[in-house]
Amino acid sequence: MKAIVFDQAGKRFGDVTAVGGLSFAIEPGSTVALLGRNGAGKSTTIRMLLGLLEPSSGAVYVHGRPPRAAAAAGELGAMLQEGRLIPEPTVRELVALVRGLYPRPLDLDEILALAGLTGLARRRAGTLSGGQAQRVRFALAVAGAPRVLVLDEPTAAMDVESRLRFWDGMRDYAADGRTVLFATHHLEEADEHADRVIVLAGGGLAADGTAARIKAAAGGHVIRFTLGGQPASGLDRLPGVTSAEVAGGTAVLRTDDADATLAALYRRTTLDVRDLELSAAGLEAAFLALTREP
Amino acid sequence: MLYYARIETLRTLRNKRYAIFVVVFPVALYLINSGIYGEQTAAGGVRQSVYLMVSMACYGALAAAMMSTALPWAQERASGWSDQLRVTPLPGWAVIAVKAGAALLLVLPALALVFAAAVVVAGVSLPAGQWALLVPALWLGTIPFAALGLAIGSLLPPDAAQPAAVAVMFGLSLAGGLWFPVEIMSGPLRAVAAATPVYRYAELGWSVVAGGGLPAAGLLSVLAWAVALGAAAVQAFRRATVRS
Repeated sequence: MKAIVFDQAGKRFGDVTAVGGLSFAIEPGSTVALLGRNGAGKSTTIRMLLGLLEPSSGAVYVHGRPPRAAAAAGELGAMLQEGRLIPEPTVRELVALVRGLYPRPLDLDEILALAGLTGLARRRAGTLSGGQAQRVRFALAVAGAPRVLVLDEPTAAMDVESRLRFWDGMRDYAADGRTVLFATHHLEEADEHADRVIVLAGGGLAADGTAARIKAAAGGHVIRFTLGGQPASGLDRLPGVTSAEVAGGTAVLRTDDADATLAALYRRTTLDVRDLELSAAGLEAAFLALTREP
Repeated sequence: MLYYARIETLRTLRNKRYAIFVVVFPVALYLINSGIYGEQTAAGGVRQSVYLMVSMACYGALAAAMMSTALPWAQERASGWSDQLRVTPLPGWAVIAVKAGAALLLVLPALALVFAAAVVVAGVSLPAGQWALLVPALWLGTIPFAALGLAIGSLLPPDAAQPAAVAVMFGLSLAGGLWFPVEIMSGPLRAVAAATPVYRYAELGWSVVAGGGLPAAGLLSVLAWAVALGAAAVQAFRRATVRS
């Protein structure tokens, strides 16, 4: 059975379509990044997945059940965007509270260690820094040992060190065959930490696959060389070229067939090509190409 | 769920707002007023120190029931904490039930402190039978106000819920005769007072200390308020948590 299924799930707020007819399925045990710009529909997608929003059309399933039923069975854990903690209880009390609500939770000390909170257990939640509070929210998300862990922009308020510790914790948690879905607009995070990247743009699916496949699909290589004062016309008609830009005497060609483009550049043009560099397009270029607004 | 109830209760006890409104305020007012008027005779032929004990205990209990519900709940909704809990297996009804239960529990220290001040400082003494009626009546009689606090917390954002709860609390206390006895009010004001749940609630206590037992009409009225405000609270809670 799939861990997560979106079946033509859509969400409208009045006249605005936040997410339109989204379909994908996620295998148990995978770590998936939901990548998109602000406003692409990431949070709406996540809130539908957690049962906090009812889809206006279509359906969402978590291990074969509607999200509310899955939540009631303790299948879901979440770190929500901008969620704040209630300030009065201590870190330990908060974690104990949430873990006590699940049928088969992790051990309390194990959770505190996993989230790097052992030294902060006695602090009141209201006295924590932003990064520390974020770690507590991670602890609350994993406390019940849910099979599906959902994180909405988890590293937003973290400094570099907290971020590293956080991803270590997430990897340990996912290593036990659990499913993790995290939303982010940091490309490196998706590239580095996910087996699969689902790219959302304008409330719809823009791309879906491994980071490597998405990079390849969106125009594989970038060729850069010094053009000087020579005419630039015709560069965009070379074989394989998807876009050509000239700025300050430097030409930048994006191509999905670097060999053909290079061969043609040398044999079919009379240009004096200097300082040529060939590089694989990063996920960033792929992302920009995929989510370019029309 | 028991642990959730414990955390909810501890939370309020650690909160300064609760301490000031609920603990310091009614006891201080009682001591000041009973120091001045304590020996005079109030409505129903009882000493002012006894009558005021009921008024201030009612005020403290009312404050405890509303302060521990309206603002914390509004804040939880706004901060995403209630969403955090909704992702867990905790059922929605448990949240409102625990909050109402914790609010009732927090009424007890408010009542106990005013009673203790009355007995220890102002030398009030009541027959055991009267205490046995007074305490449960003034305790369970706060159910309508806990429900009202939850309804306010469900309907308003935190920065509006706080002043709204305080205004409703003081307004009801004033109109219901907790600050000035209904007997000195003019006719129309008296009619307003009789229509408030707070008057009906405090009336239970005043009647008991005057030796009149629990008035049936008053009990029914408080019960009706409990049902009406309870239904409103559940309705508001649903609206606040189920998003379509």
